[in-house]
Amino acid sequence: MRTPYENRFADIEPLLAHVEKPSRYINHEWGTLSEQDASYRACLIYPDVYDVGLPNQGIAILYAALNRASGISCERGYIPWVDMADAMRAAGIPLLSLEGAAPVASFDVVGFHIPHEMAVTNVLEGLDLAGIPKLAADRGEDDPLVIAGGPSIYNPEPYCDFFDAILIGEGEEQIVEFCEAHRRLRDEGRSRAEILRELARVGGVYVPSLYEVCHDKACTRWGYTVPADGTEVPPVVYKRVVRDFGATDPLAQSIVPYTELVHDRLSVEVLRGCARGCRFCQAGITYRPVRERTADQVVSSVMRGLEKTGYDEVSLTSLSTTDHSCVKEILTRLNHRLEGTGVSVSVPSQRLDSFGVEMALAVAGEKKGGLTFAPEAGSQRLRDIINKNVTEEDLERAVRAAFEAGWRRCKLYFMMGLPGETDEDIVAIAELADHVLDIAREVVPKGQRGGLSVSISVAVFIPKAWTPFQWCAQLDDDEVKRRQQLLLKSVRNKAVRVHYHDAETSLIEAVLSRGGRALAPVILGAWERGQRFDAWSEHFELNRWLEAAAACGIDLREVAHEEFPLDARLPWEHTSPGVSRGFLEREWRRALAGKTTADCTRESCTGCGVCPTLGAENVLMGERS
Amino acid sequence: MTVAEPMLFCLRVRYVKQGRLRHLGHLEVARTVERSVRRAGLPYAVTQGFSPHMRIAFSSALPVATSSVCEWYDLVLKSYVPAAEALEKLTAATPKDLAPVQAGYIDMRAPTLGLLITRQDYRIHLATSYAAEEVDRALGAVATLGKVNYLRGKKEKVLDLNATLDTWSVEPADGGVAITLKTRSSNEGSLRPEILLTAIDRMLTGTLETEPITSTGTPELTCSSRIEVEREDQYGEDDEGGRIDPL
Repeated sequence: MRTPYENRFADIEPLLAHVEKPSRYINHEWGTLSEQDASYRACLIYPDVYDVGLPNQGIAILYAALNRASGISCERGYIPWVDMADAMRAAGIPLLSLEGAAPVASFDVVGFHIPHEMAVTNVLEGLDLAGIPKLAADRGEDDPLVIAGGPSIYNPEPYCDFFDAILIGEGEEQIVEFCEAHRRLRDEGRSRAEILRELARVGGVYVPSLYEVCHDKACTRWGYTVPADGTEVPPVVYKRVVRDFGATDPLAQSIVPYTELVHDRLSVEVLRGCARGCRFCQAGITYRPVRERTADQVVSSVMRGLEKTGYDEVSLTSLSTTDHSCVKEILTRLNHRLEGTGVSVSVPSQRLDSFGVEMALAVAGEKKGGLTFAPEAGSQRLRDIINKNVTEEDLERAVRAAFEAGWRRCKLYFMMGLPGETDEDIVAIAELADHVLDIAREVVPKGQRGGLSVSISVAVFIPKAWTPFQWCAQLDDDEVKRRQQLLLKSVRNKAVRVHYHDAETSLIEAVLSRGGRALAPVILGAWERGQRFDAWSEHFELNRWLEAAAACGIDLREVAHEEFPLDARLPWEHTSPGVSRGFLEREWRRALAGKTTADCTRESCTGCGVCPTLGAENVLMGERS
Repeated sequence: MTVAEPMLFCLRVRYVKQGRLRHLGHLEVARTVERSVRRAGLPYAVTQGFSPHMRIAFSSALPVATSSVCEWYDLVLKSYVPAAEALEKLTAATPKDLAPVQAGYIDMRAPTLGLLITRQDYRIHLATSYAAEEVDRALGAVATLGKVNYLRGKKEKVLDLNATLDTWSVEPADGGVAITLKTRSSNEGSLRPEILLTAIDRMLTGTLETEPITSTGTPELTCSSRIEVEREDQYGEDDEGGRIDPL
């Protein structure tokens, strides 16, 4: 029998007095939408704590879309922090949804957002707390359908065994179609297997159990995935794209939390997609094509959103907000409208040129914290390899403009272990940082130099599916550590602070980014050994992962550090963001030759194949500067 | 040229904290109230300076999990909105467990809530098998000590009962006892009911000397399986000890 849908808040209330941040668990926030009476119930779960998950825009969009559909009620769920999870287990209380405080297992469908690779053990933690079998194959007729979606499912294979279906691409129309079809099939009394076969016909839906892994042609150790015999499912599931992005409501967010969040503000999505074409960047491929909203739509949604939510900050979100062809107009109009209200506007990332600084200045007002730039690589040669179309002069101008405008803190992001990287490129990172500090000292008057700070943050490159670097190996840990030391030694100036990412987390990210279905037992093994909240450094334990992998006969370092042959079929090629393989191969060859490729929103089409394959196109509101 | 000082108005609002929202911390409440003010569309004033923020001030923090029918804030407005209208707008824009229930204007130069309020009354319900007389005796014994030593984190602190505990009464109530506390606060400190409750608990179980008291949100008591604390009243006193209401 299906677990009954009932409010069990009274069960968790006595626990609240003894856990950190009880406001994570109390619901009753301003702006929740779910209806109590509904013929179909969905619970969308962000696989981390409430305060990290609540601001997620993807879930906000789907939550609004599902609750708008008639007869469907959508609630939210999060993973209780370890103190609460342990207290709930001890008290025999299952994972509850937020709005109705109902057992997650009582819903028709449970959807997990996959924001990044490190979230996967928390999916298992959530399923376990909910009392839902962790493996799709073990679920019965009374269990909810467990689905996934989000930015990190473009190599779905390592997660396949945990989900009944994976929704690829933009979900706002797709998830409603999926749930409506599920409700109809459920009401017709069809079996779970029949239901899943039917749901595989909804565009962009990948039902892993209807596919199988083959090894018979040129492929990697993980094999490649094809429709299983007798199933009529598409050999390649293409991602969904919203038919008319401009027609969607930019104001998806309705809930105003009590708890202080990581991103505690109103978010309005001003554009989708980025075509700058950085060759390491997965989002740059998977969110194409580029679609901008009109300035009117952005300004009016911001004003409406502020009125509805009462926030004192609004962020104009996208992969590259300052690329919006009307960004200047939007910021000018918003500044005018918001004068004297104490409400501030923020833009998530800065473009590396003087226009970027001009826009940063337009939002900063009197208060200037730090400015962050991402040159990604130290030398021009390596920036050309990764197609980061930024020159030394751009960087210099941007930094000079920033210090002249009054900023005193500057943070530079780089990657280490990029294809073709040599020791000279590492030294170039240090030189670039030193150079930036020199500029700062030149521009900033003597008396004000006290607050000057230049810091560099260096991540480890992770080869991602569906990028021109998808065939590349990750640099091995020892070499990463040697290059980190080289970087530290090369920074001349003591005032430049150097931060680098932990090579151990990056190793697991690489494994999950490029592995196949055979990794499921490793993930399960890591969770069974106690791994959860892997994205929190205090909870990440590499040894448990290594042990879990060893028990399956897998060496994780070997997996991460393996190069794939160019002619091999890759583990993820049956679920596609629409980019053509030919384009990725061409981009890889151009990278090796140090040739850059232009941005199709500024110059002509680069032939990535996304528009024709998905039947969509770039939509711009003017000339981009 | 001189710029005329703009006319400002101070709206004083009483609100409740109850139900699930009693689990909110003081900063969470403050943030929520500020957002309610913006949603209500009231003409709030902002501070000058690099990061302008709403001019609003709250009465002293209520411990997490304690409910109240008498929390207060002062909100500075740039233009006059009739108090009844402001209250109506705030009510429509505020979660009901933090509902505003009374609003009126005070002089911009009137004493702040922090200076005005020196008296806090609490009503505490303990689910316990101890009789009201036993609890009353234990409370009396703790009060006679005049102070309670406790730890806040690693810091040793003293709750001065002579200065903060005025009067009390204990009576039988549904499933246990109800304690009414009349307390005083000043710059030197106020009475945190959970410290006193823990001391009473230790007194009842004869462990006051052996186990140190630590300040945690809701204490775990041996004598009671469930504790409900509500702030019932907050007010000031004039020189003759007469009551001054915030509004």
